[in-house]
Amino acid sequence: MNRKEVVLSNLKRVMDPELNINVVDLGLIYDINFPGGGKAVITMTLTTPGCPLHDSIVSGVKYCIEDLELFSDVEVNLVWEPAWTPARMTPEANQLLRG
Amino acid sequence: MLANTKNETNIKLPFSFILFSLLCLIGSMALILFQGESIINSQFRIPAIWSAAHLFILGWALMTAMGAMYQLVPVAFLTPIWNERFGFIQFTVTAFGILYFAHSLFHNPAGAMLPGLITLTGILMFLLQMYMTLRQQAKPNVLTLFVGTALISLLSAILLGILMVFSMKTGFISGHYQAVFKSHILLGTAGWFTLLIFGFSYKMVPMFSLSHGYSMKPAKYVFMVYAAGLAAAVISFFTGNNSLLTIALMILSCGFAFFTCHMLQILQKRVKKKLDYSFRFALLAIPAGLTIHLGAFISSLIGSFQNTVGYLVFAYLMLWVALSILGYLFKIVPFLWWTWKYSKEIGKRSVPSLKDMMNDKASIPVLSAFILGILSVTVSIVCEQPALFLSGQIVTAGASIVFCYLIITVLKQ
Repeated sequence: MNRKEVVLSNLKRVMDPELNINVVDLGLIYDINFPGGGKAVITMTLTTPGCPLHDSIVSGVKYCIEDLELFSDVEVNLVWEPAWTPARMTPEANQLLRG
Repeated sequence: MLANTKNETNIKLPFSFILFSLLCLIGSMALILFQGESIINSQFRIPAIWSAAHLFILGWALMTAMGAMYQLVPVAFLTPIWNERFGFIQFTVTAFGILYFAHSLFHNPAGAMLPGLITLTGILMFLLQMYMTLRQQAKPNVLTLFVGTALISLLSAILLGILMVFSMKTGFISGHYQAVFKSHILLGTAGWFTLLIFGFSYKMVPMFSLSHGYSMKPAKYVFMVYAAGLAAAVISFFTGNNSLLTIALMILSCGFAFFTCHMLQILQKRVKKKLDYSFRFALLAIPAGLTIHLGAFISSLIGSFQNTVGYLVFAYLMLWVALSILGYLFKIVPFLWWTWKYSKEIGKRSVPSLKDMMNDKASIPVLSAFILGILSVTVSIVCEQPALFLSGQIVTAGASIVFCYLIITVLKQ
């Protein structure tokens, strides 16, 4: 697995507690960058801008990357644009919600 | 666009309001239980009923709304609470004021001025807190309009209430007492609670149903029509124009109907097909509110509004305001406790989901019993049936106690 896959795999530990689906399958992770100097930059969103869980989820994402001990610095950028849409979910997540 | 983070409120603040409100809910239900005879005889303006009504509206519904706003405003408007320490002081002042006010209304209504002023101080502190918080919002939107107007309505309702107490004591503007009283009720219910529930529904309904791709354009028309109805109703009270009142009630019904249609549009765009049961009850409150609005309009049209307004206000408070709050509390309280206990554990270890925090299915018997109890009480008042009132109110009070118990059990998770 390359570094990006390792990060993505580890991020599956972060569950949205309302939907009980992980942030990767929900399609909340927009981008993973390694600009150099041992830094990892995660660009992500949430299902809604007023999500009351946003501090919890963002800190969970940061912890999960730091926990890998592969990077000296982890930055999580939470963005609202482009807005999340259900089309970003994996078929599994879609199935769980549409049940 | 980078998002602002770190908006979470110290969980003890909203919890203080919510736990206090549960005590007031049980207290008000118990008080109403022992006032069956007066209520059956439509004697609503007696000290014990004033006390129960204010304990229910201020102690339960208002304190719950304040607690929920301390939690929801920062996340819905993406701005932190202006001053949390001030929030705890505001809680203490308001809670003391409400208990003292309810006590005075029960034992000595003429002496309710001082506790009323203490309560007013607490509410003004809350309004200042919200004003200072909302003015920090980078980009005001239609939700700001709903919530801001709801807060202005709350302030107006409280000032009118204080004016009523002052008028009772001194005779000041006694000629307009009825108009002040009616405006106090209207702005305290349809102005404050309804606009607040409308505003937060625009945030919570899409969130709990995971709706996407809907238009928010109808929201401003909902606001404009409903606010116009409120203004027209207040003018009709002060001019004594019954035709204008009928028109105002029609406009309010239209505003509520537009809101209902918009909620339906939003729900049609939902990804989550199976909605939580408690959330369904909160949604059920919407057609209940619309029906009561239409009932008010029709009864005014046929000239019987004066005879039915007491039942309508009661049903409105219980089946629209209270049912919305009860349904949403099933979602909000587990979230608050989860945040307090597990927020920092996310990603580190396996944590329970929000559904694990509270038995959502328990909302079916509890809230069904609440609705059944309220309907029985309403019918008992209309048909003057004391036995039905007693059984209906016992069911309502029982459902309220079980509801409080369920909320407390969340804290054991």
